[in-house]
This record gives sequence, structure tokens and C-alpha cells, in this order.
Amino acid sequence: MPELGRSALVVALGLAVYATFAGALAARRRKRRLAVSAQNALLAAFAATAVAAAVLVAALVRRDLSFVYVAQHISRELPLRYAITAFWGGQEGSLLLWLLVLTGLGAAAVAFGRRAGPDVIAWTVPVLGGVATFFALLVVAIESPFATQAAPPEGAGMTPSLQNPYMIAHPPMLYLGYVGLAIPWAFAMGALLARRADERWIVATRRWTLLAWAFLGVGQLLGAKWAYEEVGWGGYYAWDPVENAALMPWLAATAYLHSVMIQEKRGMLRVWNVVLVTLAFGLSLFGTFLTRSGVVNSIHAFAQGPIGVWFVGFIALVVAFSLYLLFTRLPLLRSRTRLESLVSREATFLYNNLLLVAFCLTILWGVLFPILSEAVRGETRTIGPGYYSFFLKSFGLPLLLLMGIGPLIAWRRASVKALGRTFLWPLAAAVAAGVVLLALGAGSSPLGLSAYTFCAFVLGSIALEFARGTRARRALGASSWRGAFAQLVAHNRRRYGGYVVHAAVVLLVIGVVGSSLFQTVREQSLRPGETMTAGDYTLVYRKLERRQAANAEQERAVLGVSRGGRDLGTIRSGKNLYPVEQQASNEVAIRSDPLTGEDLFVIADQIDTDGTVYFKVFVKPLVNLVWVAGLVFVLGALVAMWPDPREARRLATRAARPPAHARA
Amino acid sequence: MIALSVAALLAVFLLYTSIAGGGTASLQPSQLGGHFGNQVQLAGRVVGPVQREARTLRFGLRDVKGTAIVRVTYTGSVSDQFRPGRDVYLRGRLMHGVFVGEKDSLVTKCPSKYVAKPSSGGA
Repeated sequence: MPELGRSALVVALGLAVYATFAGALAARRRKRRLAVSAQNALLAAFAATAVAAAVLVAALVRRDLSFVYVAQHISRELPLRYAITAFWGGQEGSLLLWLLVLTGLGAAAVAFGRRAGPDVIAWTVPVLGGVATFFALLVVAIESPFATQAAPPEGAGMTPSLQNPYMIAHPPMLYLGYVGLAIPWAFAMGALLARRADERWIVATRRWTLLAWAFLGVGQLLGAKWAYEEVGWGGYYAWDPVENAALMPWLAATAYLHSVMIQEKRGMLRVWNVVLVTLAFGLSLFGTFLTRSGVVNSIHAFAQGPIGVWFVGFIALVVAFSLYLLFTRLPLLRSRTRLESLVSREATFLYNNLLLVAFCLTILWGVLFPILSEAVRGETRTIGPGYYSFFLKSFGLPLLLLMGIGPLIAWRRASVKALGRTFLWPLAAAVAAGVVLLALGAGSSPLGLSAYTFCAFVLGSIALEFARGTRARRALGASSWRGAFAQLVAHNRRRYGGYVVHAAVVLLVIGVVGSSLFQTVREQSLRPGETMTAGDYTLVYRKLERRQAANAEQERAVLGVSRGGRDLGTIRSGKNLYPVEQQASNEVAIRSDPLTGEDLFVIADQIDTDGTVYFKVFVKPLVNLVWVAGLVFVLGALVAMWPDPREARRLATRAARPPAHARA
Repeated sequence: MIALSVAALLAVFLLYTSIAGGGTASLQPSQLGGHFGNQVQLAGRVVGPVQREARTLRFGLRDVKGTAIVRVTYTGSVSDQFRPGRDVYLRGRLMHGVFVGEKDSLVTKCPSKYVAKPSSGGA
């Protein structure tokens, strides 16, 4: 079996190399059959990688400990679902997953990307082949998942805190996001190599970009939910370098998704879009490098294998290659239209882009800071959460405001009179929300009050957009209001899907602000029978329970909860002690209020032998909106991605003629 | 032009905040000399014995790749992953030969799914 896996990877490497060189030759000499052959090689590389992946999955399912990889990551008793997730649980397996997703997505994007034009496709294949060659080389020559040994009696097992449903989905989703960003980058490079700088490559990769961006976003939220429930320190994001590694490409991709609309509508920002797509892909490679190089202190202890140097070299190659193409194709990329006014929709998109990229780069600076300070001052210095929070506020609040302003402003140029008219209702919503929140006592945090007022403005603007659009559809002859609404969304899925995503961001902001700026934290040591309060809640520590479960000793402090004299039942917070793994895990108690979105979050931080427990209690208003935001985000992304035959016809017609701004 | 201006302003600000003294020094036990009383981030590997007295921990911390050790006193939350052999980092100050950690600043590196291979000496 391991021989089959190794052979399949060698075949995949050979096919990726063939796709690179034969594809480049075919594109350069315009040999159609050779180009098709290179394209097929990419598909065949996916098939070969799938065979290797199947071998590894089979070894994990059979608990074949003669595979070094299997023995290092699972034990015989590990439940099957977690044994399978060990596929991406180690370095070698995760690199194999990279290759599998890359060749699969790449082959599919090329097969369905005909809109980009045959010459662009012909050049995209060798670019994707080059990236696949790098990853295939890593799993063949540097980090093979198919090394074997004499089977030990038992495997190392999996860290208990990682045996969690969220961790089944979180890593592969992030991978789909990271790898997916290779697709728009490869098409951008293909377009530049083919000297075709029009919008076709953007149109051909729009859904792939949305898909990668959505996976990256959902993957991060799942990681946050896991941290909140399983790690149990009372938070869900800690500005750790490894967390930032996923946030940075998502921010760059968010900027890109907005700026491509300007290129499609007005033919502007062509250079900027190539820069952004390179930044997004480069940062996804950098994120992968960061988690494996150990160059900065992180709460996540990843393996420090030899591949860090390879990644640095590959990132340098990708950046150099992209910049070379960008500079040599600059005359092709010059915009034929200019920004007509600083008060226009395209201008707000530009401001949005600057803020997103600035925030992304400040995070990158913070992550790289220890390395740079070492180089400049000879001493490693780190930056704490305060740095990131400062920039989150500085860039996040204006971004939030722009999310409300952008949809209301006209393209090209907006008059002050028109602005006053369109902003009336959203502004009224913001003022009303501000007054109500002040009356409710939200003035204790001016920052929180500002954020919530901005949120109301954005929600007002989204509601107004939907209302105006539905009314217009009704006036055009829709039989009912519901029909008009359905038509509105169906006829412009990207736009209205985007608004739903904006609503998700607003929910996220409300949840984050509520659970951080308005949270209550109380710590107290209690003996059985003693009481403490946190916010409106009263907690009575009743007793300590000890129970032997299948694979762990469980200790639980039983607490009675009441609020305003009303009994809310009992909760259990404690620890699990895993004797085999010699590990313990916090098992926090979370009591969610579905009506208010508030959580009562209890950590039994220290349990003494005499039954005394040191409790850390958080009351987190609105925190559940963070998770609701994830669902709304998925809904919005699905609406925006959903295939639309009308749009396909429109784009086909547009692709058949030069763009309007080129004819002007 | 706008983009370049904003980028330039940002770059200047970032360079100022960072090179001109931003951040906290991140040191290993062997590098603590000369930082007496200054707030630093100390990173290293936990060595026993670990003594616990109410909410206060006393343990040794040594260089991950070295032998220098400093005694640490710390009060606050402790991860379940904390134990001798684990890599940790915490903020604090060196006072009279003992590193005094700030409350709730101790971070124990999570043995993530990407665990180090035995040959690399990981915990």
C-alpha cells in the first residue's frame, strides 16, 4: 500500500511538471492539441493525487501503524471520524491535501473557465502546473506521508481538545480557502502572459474567488467557535500569528472582490486588481509558511520541519514572477477611464480597498515585527493585542460606515442634494438607535455606542436598498411583493448576496462589540454552598461531582443559576483528565439565552482537593450573534455564487465585443 | 496618488511605532541579563518541580535550545496543557533573580494537530 501511495505521488509530480512545461510550450507556440494535453495532465495529476489520498485514508481507517504518519497522529481507540481527520492532522497529510485541492480546483476551474478565452486558459494551465509541481515535490521528496516502519503496539493518539466536531471542518475549510486563492491568481498571471488584460479572467474566476473567500471566512469562524467552547479561556480570537495568518488573505480577498467590480463596471483599477490577487495568494502561502516555520511565537506549536526554507523560496518566486509580469504588461493595464469624483460609488470602493489593505498590512507588520525588530535592533520584540485592537478600531469603524454609504451613492458622481435624500432613512435609523442605546446605558463605552450607531446606519442602508429594488420590480409588473423581492434577488445575485454578507458583518460587529466592550468578568474562589454574582446572575456552588467516563476522569462543579430571583436551572463546569494521554482539558459551562444572544460562561479554573473551586465567570452580551453571523455569511455567499443563466448570457454577449470603456 | 499617500503615511507611522521603541522584548532565559525590572515577554520550556500555592505557581523556565534556567513566579489562569516539558511564554519582569509573571499572561503552546516529530525534540 505505501508503495502505491508513493508511486501515485511521483506520477502526480511528473504530470504537474508536464502540465507546466508542455503547457508553456503550447501557449507560446499556439499548439492547441499540446495545450489540451497539458490541461488533461492537470486533471490526471488530480486523479493520481486522489489515489495517494485514498491510500492514506485507508491506512488511517485500518489504523495501519506501520505508516509512520498514522502512528504519529492516531491511536487504535480513536473514533473513526477523528482517525480520518488525522489526514490533515500532520504536516505531510496537510501538504497532500493542499496538492489534492489545488489540482482538483485547478482542473475544474480550467475546464469551466472558457469565458477567460483559449489563450488565457492555455497560459493558466502551466501557472497552476508550476504551483502543483512545488507541492508535489514537497510530498515526494521532503515530507512524504508514506514513510514506513515496524508497526508499534500503539499510536501517539490525538490531543483531546482536538477531538471536537469543529476541528473536523475547520482545517479543511481553511485549506480550501488558501488553495482556492491560487485560482484567480493563476488566471491573472495567465491573462498577463497571454497579454489579455481585459476583464474576462475576472469574470471566469469570480465564483472560484467567492468560493475560496467564503471557505476562508467560515473556516475562521469555526476555529473561533472551537476556541470559545473547547479551549475555554473566555474568548474566541486572540490575535495569535496563526489566527492572523488566515485573516490576512481573507482581508486581501475581500478588497479584491470589491475592486474587481470597479474594473468590470468602469475598466479602472486593473493594476490594483493584479496586485490584490497576488497579495491574497502570497498571503495564503505566507500563512502556510508561518504555521510550519516556527519563526514567531504562537500559541499553536506546529512542527518546525525543513519546508520553511522551501516556502520562503517559493513565495519569493511567486512575488517576483507576479511583479515581473505586472511591470512588463503595465502599458496593457493602464485604465482608460479615470475617477470622476471623490464622492461616487467607485470612490467609496477605493476607500474601502485602502482601509482593508491598510488593515491587512498592519496585521502583517505585527506578525513580522519580531523578525524585523531582531534584524534592525538585534533584539526580538513582540506586539500585543493592544496594537491590533487599535488598528481594528481605526480601520474597522470607517470600513463599517463605508459599507452603509457605498450602496447608496451613485456611480461616477453624486450630488449633495441626492445624497441628503438617499441618506435620510439610514441616518434616521442610526440616530434612533443611538438615542435608544444611550437610554439603555450603552454610553459606558463610547466606542461601542459609535459601532452600534454605525451598524444601525448600515442595516438601514441595506433595508433601503432592498425596499427600493423591490418597489421598482413591483412597478415593472411583478404580481406580488414577495414575487418582486424574489425577482430582485434572482436578477442580481451578486449584488444582493453581497448585501446579505454586509448584514452578516454587521451582526458580527454587534456580537464582537457586545461580548468584548460590554462583557462582565468576575473571579472568585468558592466552597460548596457559597454564592457569587456576575452581572444579573447569581451562582450557587452546590457540589463537586467526580465520574469515570470511557477515556477520562470527569470533575464537574455543579452550580445553580438564577437571575432576578428566577431559577434558571443548573450548569456544570469542570475538567476532564485523560490518563492515557496524560492531559487535562477545561470543560466550560455555557448557558446561552436564545432571546438576547447572551452567554453565561463559567470556567472552573482551579479545582482543589478539598472541593474548593476558583471560578472565572463571564457574562457576554450578544456573543451568539457572532455565530449567527456565520450562517448569514454562508447564505449571502451562496446567493452571490449561485449560477444565473441570465448573467451567463449577458457576460457571453459582453465577452463577444470589446468593453464599453474601450470603445468610448 | 491617494493610495500612495495613504500607504506612505501608514508606512511612516508603522516604522515610527515599531523601530522607535514599540513592542515588548521577547527573550529566552539566557537573554534576561541587562533587562532587570523591564517588562519583557519570556519564552522557554517548563522544568519541574512545579509548586502550586493557591493561585500562585512556581516553576523553572529554560531556553528551548539551551541550558540557562530562571525561576518563575506566576499568579493567574493556567492552561490545562501546562506541565514540565511544555513550551510557554509569559509577560513579566525580572525582580531579584526571579521572573515575576503578570496576571493571566501565561500562554502554553497548544499541542496543535501539527505536532512536532519526536526527532525535532518537540514537546
